[in-house]
Amino acid sequence: MNLTYFLFFICIIVCTLIITYWAAKRSNTTNRFYTAAGSLTGFQNGMAIAGDFISAASFLGIVGMIAINGYDGFLYSIGFLVSYLVVLFLVAEPVHRLGKYSLGDVICSRFPSNKMRWIMAFGAFAISILYMIPQLVASGYLLRLLLDIDYSISVLVIGGLMTVYVVFGGMVATSWVQIVKTVVLMSGTFLLSLIVFSNFNWNISALIDRVKEGSPLGEDFFFPGHLFGNPLEFFSLQLALVLGTAGLPHILIRLFTVRNTIEVRRSLISSTWIIGLFYLMTLILGFGAIALLGYESLMATDPTGNLAAPLLAKEVGGDFLLAFVSAIAFTTIVAVVAGLVISATTAFSHDIFHHILKKGQSTDKEQLKAARWTALGIGLISTLFALRLETINVTFLVSMTFIVAAASNFPVLILTIYWKRFTQVGAITGMVSGLLASLVLVVLGPHIMNPDGGWIARESLISLHNPGIIAIPIGFLGAYIGTILSSKQAQREEEFKQFFIKSQTGITSRRESP
Amino acid sequence: MNEHVFQLIQSKMRFLVRAIILVFLFYFMLPLSLIFIPDAMNQTSFIPGVTWAWVYGFLQIPMTWLVGWIYHIKAKRFDQQIEKIEREGMV
Repeated sequence: MNLTYFLFFICIIVCTLIITYWAAKRSNTTNRFYTAAGSLTGFQNGMAIAGDFISAASFLGIVGMIAINGYDGFLYSIGFLVSYLVVLFLVAEPVHRLGKYSLGDVICSRFPSNKMRWIMAFGAFAISILYMIPQLVASGYLLRLLLDIDYSISVLVIGGLMTVYVVFGGMVATSWVQIVKTVVLMSGTFLLSLIVFSNFNWNISALIDRVKEGSPLGEDFFFPGHLFGNPLEFFSLQLALVLGTAGLPHILIRLFTVRNTIEVRRSLISSTWIIGLFYLMTLILGFGAIALLGYESLMATDPTGNLAAPLLAKEVGGDFLLAFVSAIAFTTIVAVVAGLVISATTAFSHDIFHHILKKGQSTDKEQLKAARWTALGIGLISTLFALRLETINVTFLVSMTFIVAAASNFPVLILTIYWKRFTQVGAITGMVSGLLASLVLVVLGPHIMNPDGGWIARESLISLHNPGIIAIPIGFLGAYIGTILSSKQAQREEEFKQFFIKSQTGITSRRESP
Repeated sequence: MNEHVFQLIQSKMRFLVRAIILVFLFYFMLPLSLIFIPDAMNQTSFIPGVTWAWVYGFLQIPMTWLVGWIYHIKAKRFDQQIEKIEREGMV
C-alpha cells in the first residue's frame, strides 16, 4: 500500500473515531443510544438514510452493471429510488408515531404480546445479519483487490470499526458516520463525473459514441434486455426492490431519530433527492468506464464489473484519485454495516432483553449496558462469520434481504397500520410465512441449487433468482389466512379507530413534540 | 370519537391511495412496457438519439421528486388542520 492510500484511510478512520468519541459523551441514555434522542434535523436524517441505504453494492455494483449491461443496470437504481415513495406514503409517519426504538414497538402498539415481539425482533435481527454478512465479505474482497490488503485484515478492520462506532457512540455516532459518508460519496462521485465529462470536452454525443465503440454490445448498449432475459425475473426483481425498502428495519429505525413527522417527511424527501442525484451520476460513471477503459480491460481486472468505478478513477486521475475513490468505497461500507449493527442491537437488547426477559422493568442504566454488550457481541459474531465465509459465495444474501423484507415485514406493517380486521395471529402467520417462503424459494432457486458451483450441485427447482413475485404474495396470503382463522380475536371497531387515529395524527401519542 | 379528525384522515387516505396507485402504475408500466412493447420503447423519442425507454426511465426520477414534494405540501396542510382541531380542544 503506498503512502497516498494509507493517508486517505488513516484520515477516514481518525475522523470517524473522533465522531465516535464526541458521540460517546452524548450517548449516555437509552434514548440517545437508540435514536440520538430524536435530535437530528430532517435534512441530516435524509443524508444519514442515504448513507445507510447506498451500499458498496450500489456504488460499485451499479456503476459496473451500467458499464457492462447498459440500460438494464440503470433500471436497478430506479427501483431503489421509487421504493422511497412507498416508505413515505404508507409507513413512515405511522412508524414514527407508533414506535419508540424498534419495529417491534410499532407492531406491539396494536398487538402487545411477547410472542409478537419475539417474532418482530427475530425478523429485524435476521434481516440485519443477513445483510451485514455479505457486506463484510464483499468489503474483504474489495479492499484486497483495491489495496492488496489480506482478506482477514480487511474484514477485521471494518468489523472492528463498525463495532466501535456502535458500542461507544450508538445511534449518534452511526448517524454522523453515515452523514459524513454521504457528503464524501456525493462530492467524490460528482467530482469524478465532472472529470469524465471533461475528458469528452463536455460533449455528451462524444461520450455516447465512445461508449458504443468501447462496449461489445455496440449500438445495443443503449437498448434494454442485456441483464434481464426472463421477463418474469425482471418484474419480480422490480417488485422486491420497490416494496423491500419499506420493510428494512435499519432504514425504518432511522425514522425515530427526528423529533416529529414534518422532519420524517423532510428526511425521506431529502434522501430521495440525494439518492436520485447519486444514481444519475452513477450513469455517467458507468458510461465513462466503458468509454474510457473498454470492455476487455474491465473484464480482465474483475469480471463482475465491481471495480469499474475505481479503475475509471485511476484512468482519469491516476493513483491519487484511485486512492480517493477507494477511500469512498471504504467509508460506504463502514457506514452501512454500522447501521446494520445498531438495527440488530436494537432488536435484541430493546425487544428481547428489555421487553421480554426483563418484562419492561430494567432501568435505563441496565438497558444501556445491555445494548453496548449486545452491539459488541453482534459485531464480533458477524466479523467471525465473515472471516469463515471467505471462499463461499454469499452475494445472493443481498437480494434475499430485500425479498425477506418485502415478504415479511412489509405485509405485516401495512396490514397492522391499515387493516381493521387484522389480528395478532394474522401478523404472526404473515411474518412466518413471508420469512419461510423467501428462505425456501431462495434455497430451491438457482442461487443455491446450481450444477455450476452452487451449494447444491443440481438443477434448481425454481428458475427465479429473485422469487419476490411468489414470496411477497405468500407473505400477504399468510397474514390473510391467519386473520380469517382467528377472526374472533379482531379488535372492536372503536379500539381500532383509536389506534388508527393515533397512527395517522399522533393524537394521544406522548412522543410527538410540537 | 371526533368526527372532524376522522374525516380529515379519510381525505388524506383518499389522496394517498390515489397517489400510490398512480406511482405504481407509472413505475410498473416501465418494466411492463419493456417486456411487452420493446420495439416501441426502442424507437427514438422526441429527443434526437434518445429512445423512449431512456426517456421513461429518466422520468421516474423527477416523478419521485415531484410526487414527494406534492405529498409534503398536502401533509403539511393536514398537520395544520389537525393542530387547529387539537388547539380548539375539539378532540
